[in-house]
Amino acid sequence: MDEHVLLVEDDPSIREVATLGLEQSGLRVTAVGDGREGLDRFRQGGVDLVVLDVMLPSLGGFEVLREIRHDSQVPIVMLTARSELHDVVVGLELGADDYVTKPFELPELVARVKAVLRRAAPAGDGATINVAGVEIDPDGFTARKRGEELQLTATEFRLLLELARRPKQVFTRELLLELVWSYDYLGDSRLVDAAVQRLRAKLEDDPKQPVLIKTVRGVGYRFNAGS
Amino acid sequence: MTLRRRLTLVLALAVGLTGIALGAGSYFLVRHNLLSDSVDSSIVQTRRNVAVAPAYRDTGKLVDAYKSRGDFLTVATRGGDTFLSSASVSLRSVPAGLRDVVGRGELGYQRTTVAGDRFLVTGAPAANGTKLYFFFPENGLRHELSVLRNVLLGGVGILVLLAALAGVVLARSTLRPVARASTAARSLAEGLLETRLPVEGRDEFGVWAQSFNEMAAALEAKIGELQAAQARERRFTADVAHELRTPLTALMGEASLLAGHLDQMPPESRRPAELLIADVGRLRKLVEDLMEISRFDAGAESVHAEEVDVAALVGATVRARGWDDRVRLEGDGLRVTSDPRRLERIVANLVDNALEHGGSSVSVRIGEHEIEVTDDGPGIPSEHLAHVFERFYKADASRSGGGTGLGLAIARENAILLGGELEVVSEPGQGTRFTLQLPVAEPLHHGDGDVA
Repeated sequence: MDEHVLLVEDDPSIREVATLGLEQSGLRVTAVGDGREGLDRFRQGGVDLVVLDVMLPSLGGFEVLREIRHDSQVPIVMLTARSELHDVVVGLELGADDYVTKPFELPELVARVKAVLRRAAPAGDGATINVAGVEIDPDGFTARKRGEELQLTATEFRLLLELARRPKQVFTRELLLELVWSYDYLGDSRLVDAAVQRLRAKLEDDPKQPVLIKTVRGVGYRFNAGS
Repeated sequence: MTLRRRLTLVLALAVGLTGIALGAGSYFLVRHNLLSDSVDSSIVQTRRNVAVAPAYRDTGKLVDAYKSRGDFLTVATRGGDTFLSSASVSLRSVPAGLRDVVGRGELGYQRTTVAGDRFLVTGAPAANGTKLYFFFPENGLRHELSVLRNVLLGGVGILVLLAALAGVVLARSTLRPVARASTAARSLAEGLLETRLPVEGRDEFGVWAQSFNEMAAALEAKIGELQAAQARERRFTADVAHELRTPLTALMGEASLLAGHLDQMPPESRRPAELLIADVGRLRKLVEDLMEISRFDAGAESVHAEEVDVAALVGATVRARGWDDRVRLEGDGLRVTSDPRRLERIVANLVDNALEHGGSSVSVRIGEHEIEVTDDGPGIPSEHLAHVFERFYKADASRSGGGTGLGLAIARENAILLGGELEVVSEPGQGTRFTLQLPVAEPLHHGDGDVA
């Protein structure tokens, strides 16, 4: 595997050490030190995943995130400070796939990056699912609703796939964290909630009155195949 | 008895006694004068009556003549005969003592009551051997005296009432500043440091209120200073922790890269590299603890509650840290609505502490509503027990453990945030037990970020 990671981080030491860590795990890394430069580099193409610091000079991390999500579903992992709880929520709502808080262990970053890349790779594990007017093709990595292709991120696609594979089953947040995000222990349930919101915004006719992805109060979510 | 009631009573008593003394004095003076005036005028009349008696041969006519001389009744005796001016009196009405006096040939008087009416009776012998007794009615006089007595008594009563009223008013107005001051002192004690007393007048209470206000102002300023200093200190800690974050992240990454290449290093640099990696880990723990404690200080921590299987969480916590073979787990079945990260943090910190100080056997027991972490270590002396949850508190200054000194403080902050209680019991030589009581009656608000 030779996926290309764009690392946008202003601290030179963290930039260099993260580059080394990601390279040693078999990834190709381009590292830049400010937001404007990061966005320019991304637009040149060929990037499979972006690791994005929130605090960046010239163009803030959230701005870069917004710009990228404007026309791309590329996987994005955010670097945030744990003391800025708000950042996590904002980043997830803007469409980040996962996040790592500083200070982080290098293996943790590598594991998160790889998990998101795995999510983005075609699963190659199954036939097309057709349920409640939604058509999901795991091999082609595409989802259509009434024939119209949905622009989903890898996380949103996996989430939809897992839910739609077993309609009517109630999925707890922990189970979804395990299935979609590969957290086996104490993942952040806000990842699930934010991804569900984003998925509904793209999937539902009225995201405020969701009919396909239902909330089961106090438990989790389920896909509603209709009656 | 309250000061107010005492003041009222004393004033009423003083006025009452004075009134009674004055009233009684005037009453007896007036009474004495009236009675002796009555005697004087009666005797004058008697002498005049006696003087005209010899002019009447017929005593019956004499008695009749007296009728026109004044408002008195007459009893006369001459020889064995008795003459009366009115049927309402008789010779028997005349007191025996007076009859004796008159029998001795002298003029006398005495007061008596005849059929409920009061009379002053005078008696004197006339020159012709007639003995004359005159009954001067004193009912009117007595009535006037009793009216006077009642008026005086009523006056004293009213005076006493007025005095009591004045006492109440006076006491209330005098004591109002005292009541106000005690209210102010209470609210000051409850933490309302801006409490002040109104300064009214230049009496002792005014001066007192002024001093009270000065004291309150000094207290407020002092506490304000302390709070500002504490806030600065906490801000500083938070800033330090925050600024350490970036270099620490780089250090951790570098240590991690080094750790992957230890076996390729020459022996003389390998050991220092190992130490470096371990110390970066310690530094990380310290910075993370500082950051967490700063978040608590800033009140920035929130709870994300969900259903938690406590036994599963404890098991996972212990396994994740590689403590499986050193920690015994007991109990099962407790499910709570709580924040699993915070529960994990508490359990991990308690077990970490027990493993560090606790000797060979550490157990985690899950009870009905509580989690107990017990060790069989040397225990904590009682004088240190109250301080174990303080930041950086070390029971033994010479013992430099591997912990950050913040673990128990953080555990306790988390316990409070979850609505639980963290307690410790320890017996020197017998080991130590930390108990985390979890709230059961009220489940925490579910941290469900979903609005749909």
